[in-house]
Amino acid sequence: MSATCEFQAKDYKSSLKPIWCPGCGDFSVVQGIYRALAAIGRPPHEIAFVSGIGCSSRIPGYTTAYGFNSVHGRSLPIAQGIKLANPDLLVLAAGGDGDGFSIGGGHIAHLIRRNMDITYIVMDNQIYGLTKGQLSPTSQKGRVTCTSRFGSLEEPVNPLLYVLAYGAGFVAQASPTDLVGMAATIEEAIRYPGFAFVNIQSPCVTYGEEAQQIKGLKAISENLAAMGHNPADRLAAMDLAQQYGQKMHLGVFYRNPEPAPTYDGLVRERQAALSKNAPPKEQILDLFIKK
Amino acid sequence: MRKDLVFGMAGSGGDGIVSAGESLLQAAAAEGYHGVMTKSFGSQIRGGESSCRVRISTTPILNPGGNLDVAVALNWEDFLKFGAELPVSGTTVVIYEAATKILEADIPLVGVTPLQVIAVPIAQMAKETAGTERAKNTVVLGLIAGWFGIGAVAVMKGIRKKLAKKGEELVEANQRAFDAGRAFAMEHPLKTSMNVVASDTKGQVKLITDGNDMCAAAAIFAGCQFFGGYPITPSTEIMQFFTDHVWKYGGAVLQAEDEIAGIGAAVGASFAGKKSMTATSGPGLSLKSEMMGLASIAELPLVIIDVQRGGPSTGLPTKTEQSDLFAAAFSAHGDVIRPVLAPTSVADIFRITIEAFNIAEYYQTPVIVLSDQEIASRKETLDPIDTTQFKIINRLVPAGADLVDYKRFQQTENHISPISHPGLLGGTYLASGIEHVESGAPTNSGDVHQRMNEKRTRKFDPLKDRKDLFEVTGNPDAPIAIIAWGSVAGVCREALEMAQAEGINVKLLVPYLLYPVAENVYNDFFKSVQKGIVVEQTHLAQTFKLLRMHVDLPKGLKSLARSGANPFLPGDIVAALHQLLSELQRSHEGQLQPQE
Repeated sequence: MSATCEFQAKDYKSSLKPIWCPGCGDFSVVQGIYRALAAIGRPPHEIAFVSGIGCSSRIPGYTTAYGFNSVHGRSLPIAQGIKLANPDLLVLAAGGDGDGFSIGGGHIAHLIRRNMDITYIVMDNQIYGLTKGQLSPTSQKGRVTCTSRFGSLEEPVNPLLYVLAYGAGFVAQASPTDLVGMAATIEEAIRYPGFAFVNIQSPCVTYGEEAQQIKGLKAISENLAAMGHNPADRLAAMDLAQQYGQKMHLGVFYRNPEPAPTYDGLVRERQAALSKNAPPKEQILDLFIKK
Repeated sequence: MRKDLVFGMAGSGGDGIVSAGESLLQAAAAEGYHGVMTKSFGSQIRGGESSCRVRISTTPILNPGGNLDVAVALNWEDFLKFGAELPVSGTTVVIYEAATKILEADIPLVGVTPLQVIAVPIAQMAKETAGTERAKNTVVLGLIAGWFGIGAVAVMKGIRKKLAKKGEELVEANQRAFDAGRAFAMEHPLKTSMNVVASDTKGQVKLITDGNDMCAAAAIFAGCQFFGGYPITPSTEIMQFFTDHVWKYGGAVLQAEDEIAGIGAAVGASFAGKKSMTATSGPGLSLKSEMMGLASIAELPLVIIDVQRGGPSTGLPTKTEQSDLFAAAFSAHGDVIRPVLAPTSVADIFRITIEAFNIAEYYQTPVIVLSDQEIASRKETLDPIDTTQFKIINRLVPAGADLVDYKRFQQTENHISPISHPGLLGGTYLASGIEHVESGAPTNSGDVHQRMNEKRTRKFDPLKDRKDLFEVTGNPDAPIAIIAWGSVAGVCREALEMAQAEGINVKLLVPYLLYPVAENVYNDFFKSVQKGIVVEQTHLAQTFKLLRMHVDLPKGLKSLARSGANPFLPGDIVAALHQLLSELQRSHEGQLQPQE
């Protein structure tokens, strides 16, 4: 850690101009990320920010850090490789609902059970924006899109319940309707010593439905802290998470009061223990000597 | 007296055939012989058929050998399942279990009369001496010691060591079984003695290992600190070796949830500045292809070991084949080159794996190493290797002026740009699968795309001049040629020696670099060639076709290709060379005849 100098949000803003649609919720999300990083104060070169493919996955490009805009659905495996290669880094992963819960949906369960110290931000807009408006894994049943002309026939994934059920140690939700709250939530997620998940309801102004725009979201939003929700209560969190799609609860659903050891921390311990009496690697072939 | 013997043994899963083979190999090594052992199984985990071949020689061994000198069948049903993997000829001594109740004259080997056939009451001797039929494999080792003079002392020394923890009683039981086998052999001498001459290197230190362990050891030696992968036959032992050892060197392993996540984590570790790798087999290579494209465009060093098995799809998971060549050379969409290397033996997979890391790091590219099931699982005795002779190359990291207005993908004279990594002050950049300008910022400009494609492909030009990644043996001016790679190369090396001994003027080219195709190396090689064969274990003649894509092949160059699990024997190659020789002679005669 070299957090001796102070950083401001603008220090994390890159020189690339976002090409999101005017009014896109992701503009607020990237602001929230700048603010959270400034509050934490890690210098940009100690941050690795990984994404997949999608409108929201452009976000590492708009952030001054070591960014990796990879391939569709694979931000989490790449982020884990980075964290294991250099556990000192602050590792962020981000992407959309399709990236995280459809094409890459198999990865999150495994990252949760490994509990690596990685923060994962999903910009959930219930639509495939970059491919121009197809059904996404979080689209409501019955929703009409260009790939569901007569209405979708399937239930949406519930991202909050999904990660809670797999045992994530930190689960929160935020929204551009409350930028200050979002920045604070992201900051708290990054500070959590283990895997942290933040679902951000980020409206798609081009393909999103009326009810999912800022005005509609505000109407169904409720602050978890104001409701008196105890974030140490996992079952209560799961109960509230069931209302995903009807209500938009903002803040921390669950924070494990006794964070479990992280995979990266355990790897470090194992490396320290086993490297003590290791023969030099130039002698590795001696393992094959048969006398 | 013999200088070289090939044993082939088969039985059912519980018979301990493979463990007998390992004991024989270790005993031979202790007695100073060179040895190679290959294993072959059915796909069942328990109770299926299993077999091994052990070749023992007083000189270094080039391949697991051709026809068997000694065949051991604990039952015929299992033995016959291996077909061409355990070929019996007129010079083979066949030893089989008398309890099969098959008369020596009636053994079920069609179209061949072995040199000698001996029924031995193996199970009965095991039961009588050790109290259990499980000692059958020890009886077999006693028979081998008696008849062929290998391991009279060393076999039991090894067994004693292996069973020491299980108590003296078990060791003694095995000693009695071994002695009974040996005594049986002494009482029933072979019609023609087949004793192996003593080695003059007895007592020298030897290594014994297989291709997968050797590959993993080489990777750690080369500085690899991250392995991401998923279990798949026949490559899994590479990951197992890493989980045993890499932590000691500050590295880590991730057994991922799938093949894609395995290579994804390896890509991430490379981005973070560490040498990293994955290993897989055909189905996994298919799954990993998108990530390989990503590593190519993001110019990230990465080593991918593909231990080939029979394909397509699940194919023949436990048998060897070379049919992943196209998949490796053209492994993902887009215009890009990914170097493909291939070792030919356990001994040289050490060098080739180090070379793969060096190329990956220097050129900032994924490199595929095409190993195969045979090399991966065969055990070889090796003389100690001096590791200090190997040069290790690390990626070019930006420093000083490079970090002022750092451009990750800067166009340079050799098309290679200094590569930073998270943690390095001043080196932040955006890595991406999307086309990018020199700074890393995304673009969809056709002009930039053209220039970046040039950068990413032309950087490999020097690689094609690496003559040290090719081996030419035989007469360099020979009119007849063989080309072979991977485990098939070892068979061709022996065939070359046999053919030369028969007076055929022939040479052999073994490429360790398969892709990009080094046109100049082949053009030089072909200058003297009028007839030749490209020998490969693929059905579609992939090697021949890959060469034809890039090089004007001599008209007389033919393909000798066959599907996996149908091994080439040195004699097959020599027969093909005789055919080429007679064609060559006929064409010369034709030229002398007056035209009508």
